[in-house]
Amino acid sequence: MDIEQKQAEIIDQFVRRSSTCKGEALASILLEATSHPSLFAFSEIMAVPSVAELDGTTTSVYLDVLRLFAHGTWTDYKCNAGRFPELVPDQILKLKQLTVLTLAETNKVLSYDDLMQELDVRNVRELEDFLINECMYMGIVRGKLDQLKRCFEVQFAAGRDIRPGQLGSMILTLSNWFNTSENLLVSIQEKIKWADNMGELDKKRRNEIEERVEEVKKSLSTKKLHTVGRQMLTLEGMRRSLLNQAE
Amino acid sequence: MAPSSSSGLTFKLHPLVIVNISDHYTRVKTQLNPPPSVAAASGNGHGGDVAFQQNPRVYGCVIGVQRGRTVEIFNSFELLYDPITDILDRSFLEKKQELYKKVFPHFYILGWYSTGSDAQESDMHIHKALMDINESPVYVLLNPSINHAQKDLPVTIYESELHVIDGVPQLIFVHASYTIETVEAERISVDHVAHLKPSDGGSAATQLAAHLTGIHSAIKMLNSRIRVLYQYLVAMQKGDIPCENSLLRQVSSLLRRLPAIESERFQDDFLMEYNDKLLITYLAMFTNCSSTMNELVDKFNTAYDRHTRRGGRTAFI
Repeated sequence: MDIEQKQAEIIDQFVRRSSTCKGEALASILLEATSHPSLFAFSEIMAVPSVAELDGTTTSVYLDVLRLFAHGTWTDYKCNAGRFPELVPDQILKLKQLTVLTLAETNKVLSYDDLMQELDVRNVRELEDFLINECMYMGIVRGKLDQLKRCFEVQFAAGRDIRPGQLGSMILTLSNWFNTSENLLVSIQEKIKWADNMGELDKKRRNEIEERVEEVKKSLSTKKLHTVGRQMLTLEGMRRSLLNQAE
Repeated sequence: MAPSSSSGLTFKLHPLVIVNISDHYTRVKTQLNPPPSVAAASGNGHGGDVAFQQNPRVYGCVIGVQRGRTVEIFNSFELLYDPITDILDRSFLEKKQELYKKVFPHFYILGWYSTGSDAQESDMHIHKALMDINESPVYVLLNPSINHAQKDLPVTIYESELHVIDGVPQLIFVHASYTIETVEAERISVDHVAHLKPSDGGSAATQLAAHLTGIHSAIKMLNSRIRVLYQYLVAMQKGDIPCENSLLRQVSSLLRRLPAIESERFQDDFLMEYNDKLLITYLAMFTNCSSTMNELVDKFNTAYDRHTRRGGRTAFI
């Protein structure tokens, strides 16, 4: 959430600048935007009308680059390297960061091998450095590095720009979550009722036993100890055993 | 009587103040209407007063700090006010003010509080009386009637403003919005008060029910928030609301964390702990049963053998 706040100002700046310029000047602005160290969101800039106009003109490659940064990964760039202009090292770094974000979208546990392949990194040390310095310190991801299992557990990853189709899947996830929590609420209520009922039953049982004890006590008369003795003692024993069990 | 305030001040209220006011009110109310056992003991002397003092009004001062446009109310203390003669005990107020100044040198008297359901005309007198200590005092009103349907705090803060009514400039009370601000220590005590169990809730059933009720209300709040998000996204999809990308990004990053507890390790740990707990409960139950059985046998033996023979017993079982 703090990333959004940090980005908000920068996004505003770029949007303002790009809405005033056109054509070639835009190209340089887009270049700056894609190399800016703390900017990871490009959909606002893409929404600016003058940027959208670039499509189809000679400078449309820059729009493509912007789209790549908004939705694509490092592998996309490598496969279609011909279509895009040369990326400056800053942009390459940013693209790799965005790749990590995309990977974090699908899995919560990213293995080192996958990461090394996606990011074109040769050894674990470099990978870890990249993750720690470029991703975690920038605040776009938070997680734990597990060296023994050679994986990276993601706890939080900043959002990338939304493709139009993704909204539908987000709504689906939300509705699932909502339904699950509703069901949970219902089952908790049932459990509460069950607990209350059990408590009631227990109290009733105790009261019944106490009543029976009282009845027995009252029905004991002061007849000869001997003949009633056995009966009384048995009743006493029964009362004590009942009370013990009740406890 | 209470339109919105336009002074632009932000108010921050600490929970200590709310607890103080409610404590004051509860004490006064209990002292005036003693519980039935005490009343019976004292011989029904206050029978006549009970109906009159159903909801006594209590009065006090609130103190705090004002930094620029932010007014932060930290603490409060009680005042002596006689509603019959309409006299505010000024010497008491001054003495208290002096004492509090020694302990909290930064706190000033920011206003006063009272209980009731709505601000009244007579409150303006006290308000004006306090205006010589603080030129714009605040009036904190606590509504002591318990309304289970109401979700918000029954605390309102009023400010006084000069409005022209019928050609006569008058001071009237206007609503001011406030936020609750807590210090760590206050958070602990509020949490403690919120989790008060009934004192005779020794039975497991009531404790379980209370615990589950707490969880239930927490999940209900989560539910309502999810619903808000869901409706927002649906509206955005239909196009009723312009797409706000930064929010969408935040939502997507949030949703990525779901499902939060499905990893294998969690299942293992969870099941292990669950089994351990079941085992311990089973063991405790066993021990209980065997000790009860033992006692039963002993008592039965004592009961029977006293009659049949002395010394040397035959085992009953």
